Amino acid sequence: MSEFSNWVRKWWPGLIPLAALWVAAAWTGTVPMEQQLTARTAAALKESVLDKTQIEVSGRDVQLSADAFSEQGRSTAVDQVASVPGVRQVLDQTQLIAEVLPYVWSIKRDVVHVTLGGNAPLPAIKVRLLDAARGAANGAEIVDEMSLARGAPARFDAAALLLIDQVSKLKEGTISLANTKVTLEGSARELGGREAIAAALKNLPEGYTVEKNALYAPPYLFQVNKDPVASTLTLSGYVPDNATHAAIVAAIGRKFVGEKIEDKLKASAGAPQGFLAAATLALSGLSRLSTGTLTIQDRNIKLAGDVLYTGASTRIGEDLAAKLPQGWQQKAELTVKPVAAPVNATICQQLLTELLAKGTIWFETGKATIDPDSAGLLDRLIETVLRCPASQIEISGHTDSDGDKDANLALSSRRAQAVADYFIKAGIPKERITAIGLGSERPVASNDTDEGKARNRRIEFLVR
Amino acid sequence: MNYLVAFNWGWIAGAAALGFATGWVSPISRVRSLSRMALRITFVAIVALLAASFWRVLPGRAGYWLDLGLVMFGAYLAGCVAGAWLRYVLLLRPGLPRGEEG
Repeated sequence: MSEFSNWVRKWWPGLIPLAALWVAAAWTGTVPMEQQLTARTAAALKESVLDKTQIEVSGRDVQLSADAFSEQGRSTAVDQVASVPGVRQVLDQTQLIAEVLPYVWSIKRDVVHVTLGGNAPLPAIKVRLLDAARGAANGAEIVDEMSLARGAPARFDAAALLLIDQVSKLKEGTISLANTKVTLEGSARELGGREAIAAALKNLPEGYTVEKNALYAPPYLFQVNKDPVASTLTLSGYVPDNATHAAIVAAIGRKFVGEKIEDKLKASAGAPQGFLAAATLALSGLSRLSTGTLTIQDRNIKLAGDVLYTGASTRIGEDLAAKLPQGWQQKAELTVKPVAAPVNATICQQLLTELLAKGTIWFETGKATIDPDSAGLLDRLIETVLRCPASQIEISGHTDSDGDKDANLALSSRRAQAVADYFIKAGIPKERITAIGLGSERPVASNDTDEGKARNRRIEFLVR
Repeated sequence: MNYLVAFNWGWIAGAAALGFATGWVSPISRVRSLSRMALRITFVAIVALLAASFWRVLPGRAGYWLDLGLVMFGAYLAGCVAGAWLRYVLLLRPGLPRGEEG
């Protein structure tokens, strides 16, 4: 044994080359080993949800710096690094990202940019939101100003994705989210965009509410131009739907006398409340103009043009103001059409007959109240009567053969008188007008058909 | 430790080979023997370094180099023991015909 101990005492010379070997091993092996450990650590953290991950390996010690999104995610990541083969110890420099309250997020659109701001809970969600924004931006540049923060409300990503989809409908503006409250500001790209966005927001995840919708849409425009030379009505702009479109065309058919309709109306959402009532009312006014333009912009009605005789302009303005739906405004810029050259009785009669061939004076069923839809025709008749001031006008009322003869006679008489009163009120001297009722005595068509009966129910003018 | 050995196996094998050679020649070496005191100091120093390694006193690269040095030193010692023992078994055991080195 002591012999062995003597040998051991002679083992020291080898320590000198051993030291050299050791230095060489450390010199050549340290950096590659650190690189290998860095790669292994990075691979181990691949599945972890971390932000700003930094791995620094010194020897076999790993310093892990990262922003974690939950306490569990943080400890799991540290454990994963610690279990990498070769790692001696982990220096944990991870930290939880800040928790914010209220949790604010926003998407803003201007002419060339779509900017996402506020907070996102996870990097993956941030990426998804940016991708979605890219899809909805129609080529606008995406600017990411989001920072990561904890504290997002449940289903934040679903809500944010829905809001991003709405950006394509915006011309400019901001949609923001504060916790579960949505605020919208700015203007919609198209007419009806405001309504389309409001409808889409009904699909927000449960618990999310629209706090404020201050979006503006382009003005809702409806325009009708009456051109007496071409005898054309040009309709342009928008109507809310096909039913309203049909109702407007039907109203024009009743109110106007013989004009061709050039219909360029398009259907679009976003019409102001009471659109049909206001448009119908304004069309009544337009029907009484010789030439003119009706413009409805949002809730403002503007009627401009020439009335057919002095006094009509006041009545048109009054009628419009009296029946306007609530919240609407009207402005009538009316001038009087220059009086046409006087004509003799024969031409006067011819003109009146022509007008009555194109249109009908309507009354309420069984009554002698003139339907307001006939105002346009009546104004034209008055204008014609004013052109033959020397002539006497006999207004005769006629009915079909239905019902009691005496009653028909009385009704026809009252209806003729109603027209006469209308004329007198419009400024025709009382002495020039006589009204008679002829009942069903002088039919112009067969009373066997509905069509014939309709033709027999009429008012006739006789110029003397 | 496994990783360290696996990564540096060439160097450790080299240390073991060096130890084996040193051990092999030590019975016939004419170098000065270490004093008993120097041996004790060496032993205490090694124990202290082992403790430092075990308790991970040195950080980062210094810690790694210490571990590597200790492993290589261990391999060297094992090589020395193996070399000396093999020489004893093959050449120096009583009863064997005397070898040329006497």
